[in-house]
Amino acid sequence: MERIHSLYLHVPFCTWVCKYCDFNAYAVLEGLIPPYVEALSREVELAGAELPIGPLDTVFIGGGTPSLLTSAQLHQVLDRVRGIGLAPGAEITLEANPSNVTSEQVDGWLQAGVNRLSVGVQSLQPDALRFLERLHSGTDAIAALRTARAGGFSNINADLLYGVPGVNLASWLEALDAVLAAGVQHLSAYELTVESKTRLGQEVRTGLVRMPGDDEQLAQYWAAAERLVTSGYEHYEISNWSLPGFACRHNLAAWQYRPYLGCGAGAHSMFRRFDRSTERRWNIKGPQAYIKQASASGHAVAGSETLSPERALGEAAMIGVRLLDGTTAARDFPAQRTQLISAGLLAEQDSGVRLTRRGIELANQVGAAFLG
Amino acid sequence: MPDKLRRVSTPTRLTRAISVIAHVDHGKTTLSDRLLEYTGTVAPRDMVEQVLDQLDLERERGITIKAQAVRMLYKADDGQTYQINLIDTPGHVDFSYEVSRALAACDGAILVVDASQGIEAQTLANVHQALDHNLKIVPVVNKIDLPQADPELVREEIEKVIGLPAESVIFASARQGIGTKEILEAVVREVPPPTGDPTAPLRALIFDAKFDAYRGVVTYVRVLEGTLRKGVRAQMMQTGKSFEVDEVGIFRPERTQVDDLSAGEVGYLIANIRNVRDSRVGDTVTDAARPASAPLPGYRHVTPMVFAGLFPTDSDQYQQLKEALEKLQLNDAALVYEPETSAALGFGFRCGFLGLLHMEIVQERLEREFNLTLLGTAPTVEYRVRLRNGEDVPVDNPDHLPSPSEIESISEPIVLATIVVPSAYVGNMMQLSQERRGQYLNTVYEPGDRVVLTYRMPLAEIIHDYYDQLKSRSKGYASLDYELVGFEEANLVKLDVLVGGSPVDALSMIVDRSKAQQQGRRLAEKLKTLIPRQLFEVPIQAAIGGKIVARETVPAMRKDVTAKCYGGDVTRKRKLLEKQKEGKKRLKRVGNVEIPQEAFMAVLSLD
Repeated sequence: MERIHSLYLHVPFCTWVCKYCDFNAYAVLEGLIPPYVEALSREVELAGAELPIGPLDTVFIGGGTPSLLTSAQLHQVLDRVRGIGLAPGAEITLEANPSNVTSEQVDGWLQAGVNRLSVGVQSLQPDALRFLERLHSGTDAIAALRTARAGGFSNINADLLYGVPGVNLASWLEALDAVLAAGVQHLSAYELTVESKTRLGQEVRTGLVRMPGDDEQLAQYWAAAERLVTSGYEHYEISNWSLPGFACRHNLAAWQYRPYLGCGAGAHSMFRRFDRSTERRWNIKGPQAYIKQASASGHAVAGSETLSPERALGEAAMIGVRLLDGTTAARDFPAQRTQLISAGLLAEQDSGVRLTRRGIELANQVGAAFLG
Repeated sequence: MPDKLRRVSTPTRLTRAISVIAHVDHGKTTLSDRLLEYTGTVAPRDMVEQVLDQLDLERERGITIKAQAVRMLYKADDGQTYQINLIDTPGHVDFSYEVSRALAACDGAILVVDASQGIEAQTLANVHQALDHNLKIVPVVNKIDLPQADPELVREEIEKVIGLPAESVIFASARQGIGTKEILEAVVREVPPPTGDPTAPLRALIFDAKFDAYRGVVTYVRVLEGTLRKGVRAQMMQTGKSFEVDEVGIFRPERTQVDDLSAGEVGYLIANIRNVRDSRVGDTVTDAARPASAPLPGYRHVTPMVFAGLFPTDSDQYQQLKEALEKLQLNDAALVYEPETSAALGFGFRCGFLGLLHMEIVQERLEREFNLTLLGTAPTVEYRVRLRNGEDVPVDNPDHLPSPSEIESISEPIVLATIVVPSAYVGNMMQLSQERRGQYLNTVYEPGDRVVLTYRMPLAEIIHDYYDQLKSRSKGYASLDYELVGFEEANLVKLDVLVGGSPVDALSMIVDRSKAQQQGRRLAEKLKTLIPRQLFEVPIQAAIGGKIVARETVPAMRKDVTAKCYGGDVTRKRKLLEKQKEGKKRLKRVGNVEIPQEAFMAVLSLD
């Protein structure tokens, strides 16, 4: 299989699982963190020995809330990662909850080797934060961004949510401006998506919560996009903007259909075989079961699927079109390309295609066109 | 392959052939199960519910669609062992032709009436059919164990309404096995033995047939005269074709070989018949070496009442659909079809059905048994159009209606509808029937708070949601039976539908002129809710004679984008999109608009 240069590490613990979240995250299991770190270290170590992996160009520690790890725990995990080998200038991202961003923590993260911090700001309005069940205030979130910057991080991302019930266009843009003023190099703005298995999903189903309509959500999205672009940020993926040179290299690897290894509970891996087929694997989701399995054997794979070269091409195109600079991933689908161009969803770009404005709004329709 | 069964010779006087008839859901299939168990035809360990329902569809829906035959041996109280040939029949009005076929092969019938529901419309219809065939009726009040049961009242009803003596009525609970023995005793005592002469020239009635991939056509017969043996040359009296008989057998209930079938017996023959058309239901089988002089009367030819187009959603499946229809027709004599070409839907078949359930069942069987994905258009009746030039043309497809300038008049089929309902709902039934252009004929009050209403009504009104409305406006109590009585002139117009600016022939309908504009508006409104949003705005228009009478617009799809799609989300997202795409395969592309099956059925429920 192709050599892997990207590694994702999952930390499934949170102080509180917000009602909209459908990630693999669990609250109040702090006692499990030490054995989990052991199991994760074991999995990373064994993968390094068994797979064609490294030197690593990108490492992404996500969650959950990986900022709940102590410096020592983070060191332990990243030491195993170094065992695989890091490329010079490797991007090492840590996701952090604003509540955990103190100057001591920031020092520890930098010392452990983290050089990119992704802060889950989500919102700044008190009502919205309460609705989203975030435990920090807007002031805490801005302070976290400043602390990270002052402590030495020069590559910081803030995650924001738009389309939150009760937040109008003006106050959404106000929050965005405040975050930009705090000096971030990267910004991810996500529509608040209702996932059926979450508590928010249930509240929407029962009519307790009414979500803003499509028009309102798109208005907030495009207004933010305009504000970001005028502020010098490049809109490089549907939900991502960065100052030049600060695109998230780890995520780019996935969108450009390069292989990655995922370790930790519920983590997904993607391998590319030389025959152009793709293998996707995923680990056991539950932290307890994961700990048991990974500590015993160093493996925790729960399932996998292999996509034929043809299906893999379709998947690559489905993901590739999310990159707004254009992609050549759709070159093997001339008929679909022509059709989508005439429907106004794609435009030709250099040798490839890119989503039009309407194409971004209907990106799933575009992606589906490439699937069998 | 079934074991060859040693010939158990039963003298003709100890042979019986019976059917079980009832209104749908009164429990005839459960009763058949009990009879099979009691006579040891099916060992308790092999017993499954609805033994005789062989189609998956029948067991799932809990209804009988096909008549099924089985032979039982019963040692009666008189010490003799009787051979009882039982044919289970469907109860729904659409399948009354199956009942009629079954009855023609019998000498008696067990009439099952639900102890809490009493006599219903199909009970009466089936009894009339049985009497037409001169069958001896054994009346049974079933489900007497239910708390709402009132067996005494139902017994009285049977005497008053049907005219069978109350003392002949047997109380039973098929579910609990009560009354099973009494029913069997009554059958051997009351039902006459067959009268045919086993030595006369062979005459056997084909009452069903089935295609077996290995053996060819399996022909279900009842021998009325003579004896059918392996090795004879069977001649079909209608088609004149003859075939060497490879195997004869009986149903126990699986196919079991025997040496011969003699007068009065029910069974099957296999004769290497490859073409399904060579074994026509209703035809008479005779021995080519010693032919009978005349065929049996056969069946009342079944006339399809409703017509609809069936189109493969994937046009590559046309040939498969054609072959599937051929095979299904063998097993379903009431199904008729001919090729149809629709500008909107491509190549398909115009099919004639006995009713809406029949249509639904045919479509579902074609899809399941032949692995097809089909689109059915809204059913219509067959109109008779008199042209100005004096010519009469039948029109079973609204799109084929000649232009108004050529038409002198249009006649539509009229039925005599019988509604049986508790008196509390008579008002609702009358109102509904009036709304549906019904002409009131008669009211009869029967014992047990039962009212029989009769109406003359256009068949077109009945197929448009009338039955569902009847049920919902009577809290499920009303039952309906109808028969075609003729054609009547009516003031009708064609309503056309344009989707995305282009006419969709398969959505055209013929409607009463006074209701046309309103129907057009309702149809457009309904289609708006049924046609999913597309990438662009889709106008829906209803037109009468080129004049637009209604317009609605399906707005363009506004937003369909996943905010987060990182490494761990890809599999889930791809599967979601693949699933949506799979769902789209059920849509039919008309021009550049994708239209779901439900849209083609929208015209059925516009009220």
